[in-house]
Amino acid sequence: MTTRAEFISRIREQVQKTPGRFSAASARRPQHPAAEADTIRRELAERWPETLEAFRREFEGVAGVFHRVATIDMVPAVVSRIAHEREARELVTWHSAALGADLAPALGARGLDVHPMPESEPGGVAERERLRAIAARADLGLTGVDLAIAETGTLVLVSGAGRPRSTSLLPPCHIAVFDRTVLVESLRQVGVLLEAWHGDGRPPAAGAAINFITGPSRTADIELTLTRGVHGPKEVHAIFVEQPIRG
Amino acid sequence: MSDAELATPFRQRADGAMKDAFLQEALTIATTKFIGLRRDAFAGFPEGEALRDQARAIKEATLQHLDHHLETLIGNVERLGGHVHYAATPAEARSIIVDIARRTGARMAVKSKSMATEEIHLNEALEAAGITPVETDLGEYIIQLAHERPSHIIAPAIHKTKGQVAELFSRELKRPAEPDPEALTRIARGELREKFLQADLGITGANFAVADTGTVVLVTNEGNGRMVTSLPRVHVAVMGVEKVVPSFTDLMVFLAILAKSATGQKLSVYTSMVQGPRRAGELEGPDEFHLVLLDGGRIAQIGGPLREALSCLRCGACLNVCPVYRQIGGHAYGYTYPGPIGILLTAMLEGAPAVKDLAHASSLCGACVEACPVRIDIPRMLIDLRREVDDKKIAPWTERVAFKLLARLLQHPRLYRFAAKAGRIMQKPFASDGRIGRLPLFFGEWTRTRDLPPVASRTFQERWASEKDLQA
Ligand code: SF4
Repeated sequence: MTTRAEFISRIREQVQKTPGRFSAASARRPQHPAAEADTIRRELAERWPETLEAFRREFEGVAGVFHRVATIDMVPAVVSRIAHEREARELVTWHSAALGADLAPALGARGLDVHPMPESEPGGVAERERLRAIAARADLGLTGVDLAIAETGTLVLVSGAGRPRSTSLLPPCHIAVFDRTVLVESLRQVGVLLEAWHGDGRPPAAGAAINFITGPSRTADIELTLTRGVHGPKEVHAIFVEQPIRG
Repeated sequence: MSDAELATPFRQRADGAMKDAFLQEALTIATTKFIGLRRDAFAGFPEGEALRDQARAIKEATLQHLDHHLETLIGNVERLGGHVHYAATPAEARSIIVDIARRTGARMAVKSKSMATEEIHLNEALEAAGITPVETDLGEYIIQLAHERPSHIIAPAIHKTKGQVAELFSRELKRPAEPDPEALTRIARGELREKFLQADLGITGANFAVADTGTVVLVTNEGNGRMVTSLPRVHVAVMGVEKVVPSFTDLMVFLAILAKSATGQKLSVYTSMVQGPRRAGELEGPDEFHLVLLDGGRIAQIGGPLREALSCLRCGACLNVCPVYRQIGGHAYGYTYPGPIGILLTAMLEGAPAVKDLAHASSLCGACVEACPVRIDIPRMLIDLRREVDDKKIAPWTERVAFKLLARLLQHPRLYRFAAKAGRIMQKPFASDGRIGRLPLFFGEWTRTRDLPPVASRTFQERWASEKDLQA
């Protein structure tokens, strides 16, 4: 078996004997990512309506369904309408702490079977399997959003306690709730925020996965015919809440 | 491709492909569509050109310190609780992965589309060890059921009709299947959903790995990458050493151009970034995370003639625009990586002799350089490769002598004019339809895999001379 030392020294040998083809530099990383991230957020706070409009356009362009409500209390009505139109009942949701609001009672009152995911580590393999099975048979998955990228119509979700990866993956219909605080304009800005999460700033959650979701799951593998929902959700809804969710 | 198929000369494989009417049509439709989608995506993205230059610069800068970036990556993956393995050869990579599978008691492995695992022929090794590999990308799933190989880097099953897929599904899955893409996709979703939930082992490639953070990045449209990295208890990512990028800031530059070049999307549907195994508080994610770093011929090219090919993102854009690929499709190339870049990658992984015919399967038109998001100069390397094949005496001696003679002629105008006249007379018995399809004696080796253009009845020089007379 090749060891790390052998492997790296082979590379080093090549690198040392090879002058670069041309002088080149990697991208300039922000020096103080958290500070730069704050600046970006402050600037964005002033022009969020334009950013939101751009996001809506791109999100709809990738077959996302956009909704807009005034306050978080109005979200359950939208969710239950989506459910009823699809004759769906079972819903898994991120924990209220991860969503920023407890919508389970209101959703339950509207006739949905609501399965909130636990806030902390579910004890033991059996319990994890049980929760995963619920996500696998649910019709709807309700999540929050950590970034909404206007340039590409993308939702960014960070995994962690109370915010399982499966909620946005296994059910055929994913519904994400967001507000102006997560809107960003460009992939370049996302780069700065990711650097900040990883560096001197604070990530939204401590899980091992960051997922960029740009519309519903799709394939064109059979005769180039565009088909949605091959493995992931067939539908993705984004509900924009005008009044910031966490007040 | 089987050994028997590989034993067939390239010319015959290519001929076969060109006679397959459906394949021909599918290739034309697919590549034309991809070209249009790519063009539109960049047309609406004025900053694209500068980002392409920047992406290329990042690749070059990373190669100049690859040892350092890999060490950073390794350190971070281990800090996060992952394990890193080092594979000098495909055989070593296979045995590392089979060992992990055995040790963890895995019986089924779900795979998301990965050219690196195709390259090391992992499925055969897993099967031999009693572990069932399941390809989960729809196109890969189809060709796995059909026991074939991918024909396009990003659309592996474009050579199959929906009728063929329906037939395949009914036969292999023992259930009725209508020849309708939507219905067929639904069947695959159901079948594969079971596998995702049952499998013990998830195997992926990696589109990128971020050194700074120990992040492995997977780009998919179907969501299988997310399934494979979230549901099984063990995740193994197999990655060529050249896939590392220094930081998230660099990563964003690549993400901004990758999907646009491949399918014309602004981003693929899912970009999944995973950093080590499941963390405290998480419901899903593997208990074990393994990263297998693959050499397989790449490291020698850091200082070798194919260095530029190490910047390849595997987007497939150069395939779509290549006049040769568009005619013959992926299978005719005979190796894992098709198309113009595939010839270079094959030379890198299998050695130059493997491409002694393939090196000529390019018109050197340069369309690939234009399309390539990182502007890899494929034709330049193909020319170098042809020369190397020649210098290493891989080409037959007759060919080498013939080219030496030609070089002489080209340097001596009088001799050249004389030879053209002599050739015009001597070629008479062999030329037909404006080509020489077969030469006698030992020259036959040359025309076995290609046509020779005959000397024109009036050479350009002769025409040029008489035009000048006319003008004067
Ligand atoms: S060589 Fe360039 S165009 Fe071809 S697959 Fe690689 S990155 Fe894409």
